[in-house]
Amino acid sequence: MSELDKARREIATELQQPGLRPDPSVKLTRRTFIHRCCVLGAATVADTFSWWPLINTIDVAHAADAPFKFAWISDTHLYTRSLNTRFVDKTVRAAKEVQAMSPPADFLIFGGDLAQLGKVEELDLGVELLKEIKIRKVYIPGEHDWYLDMGKKWGELFGQPYWSFDHKGVRFIGLDTVSRAPDYWSMKKMSPEERMAHMSVLDGTVAGPWAGVGRDQLDWLQKTLSTWDKAKPVIIFSHNPLYEYYPPWNFWVRDWRDVNEVLKPYTKVTNIHGHVHQVLYNEIGTMRSIGMLATSWPWPYAPEGVPKLTKPMIRVDPGDPFDGVGWGGLAVNAKDTVENEYYMWGRKEVFVQSDEDSSLSQPQVLRPRIADSMWPY
Amino acid sequence: MIKQPVQSNLSRAVVVGTLALIALVVGPAQAHKTPVTPQQLKAYQDAFMEEVKKGDLLFHGDDDLAKKMGVTLSTTGMACAMCHPMTADTHPQSFPKFQAQMGKFATLRDMINWCIEKPNQGEKIDSDSDAMKALEAYIYWSNTNSILVPGKY
Repeated sequence: MSELDKARREIATELQQPGLRPDPSVKLTRRTFIHRCCVLGAATVADTFSWWPLINTIDVAHAADAPFKFAWISDTHLYTRSLNTRFVDKTVRAAKEVQAMSPPADFLIFGGDLAQLGKVEELDLGVELLKEIKIRKVYIPGEHDWYLDMGKKWGELFGQPYWSFDHKGVRFIGLDTVSRAPDYWSMKKMSPEERMAHMSVLDGTVAGPWAGVGRDQLDWLQKTLSTWDKAKPVIIFSHNPLYEYYPPWNFWVRDWRDVNEVLKPYTKVTNIHGHVHQVLYNEIGTMRSIGMLATSWPWPYAPEGVPKLTKPMIRVDPGDPFDGVGWGGLAVNAKDTVENEYYMWGRKEVFVQSDEDSSLSQPQVLRPRIADSMWPY
Repeated sequence: MIKQPVQSNLSRAVVVGTLALIALVVGPAQAHKTPVTPQQLKAYQDAFMEEVKKGDLLFHGDDDLAKKMGVTLSTTGMACAMCHPMTADTHPQSFPKFQAQMGKFATLRDMINWCIEKPNQGEKIDSDSDAMKALEAYIYWSNTNSILVPGKY
């Protein structure tokens, strides 16, 4: 048994006590096209997950005082306009589509990685492109936004990297999961550009386990939640997933166990995160977690650790820059349900319909890169 | 990108020198005629890993090395590793195969060039070039324990 398997068993034993699931009032709802998923669903996933609809619908009981929608865009990874126009085009498209939502969304959450290399020009470009969206906008940072100037420009533009507000019966929380990396740059006397370059490579081995919530923010989270009814819905936005999926790519936060401890008493917690650039779904304890698409490019699924509850997204065509990417529309409707719809451009079917549709049908055993290896010191 | 010398010129010289010495003393005609020595094995392995490291850097968008090797793998800031961290989903074990995007029977090298030209908007490289061999070495090395499934979609 691999180390990862052992760790996951430990996690399961610790957290998935018999009968412990997200509140039963929180449900995935079938949609009309579910039947096709059932019939054609990949053999490996069909047994357990054939109920997973194209649009995943989550019932959150007692959620909304009034129906409303909100939109998610993240991971635009903008370079300067002169270097890369494709990423600009895709950000523009997402912004236009969010603005065109009818009825309009109450707010947009931008889930981090607005810039690719954290440059002032890149962040300014992002702000300019998102001006198309006239509704309220809230932001959390991604690591690409942060490590050139340690969040200076980001803070000037968007303010506090973590925050909370209540909206129509839901407590929304934005977390900063990126700014607390262990210092890998001082000892090596790296320039800001070098520090950023290491941070900007997903499979880099130098920046290490940079994703984390941190004790101070956990204390803040606990305090913020203490005034909230434990049976009422909480929606938490974070750049990284709040559980352990694949640490080498920081598809986790390193202190996810502590996060889980804080969230445990709350029965209706939904975490919506970016960073993974892929369709992803998981449940840990009483928290459910939804991974969102990037507008820039899709990441492959990690070679191991893909949550069993995830019905994978379709294998994308690398020749089409608009494939495998997009944004998310979320609605809290009159029946107190939250629906998440992946808007993957140019795709009718977001999820795999057969084994061959999935890159996971091609088993691969991968080695970490070596040419940047300076870790551990 | 960060400047990360592949290896010092000194150690490169040592590798090349060792190989040259082996070739001189043993001669290509003598290959496999005598039991292999640990020194030979190390020299062969070093020669391979040198290519892997080069390929790793090219794959991760190292501009300096690309320039040095006379290739333009991307013009958009995109690097191979941005869609293929740890070479994920490059699936070298599935080549050669009919490649749907190209509409033809293709090798891994064909696919590398396709990715350079299409998603990366770079310039196609000679399929026997040093850069191609280095990229191939890195991709195969990274997939060392993947199972061969030639032809698989």
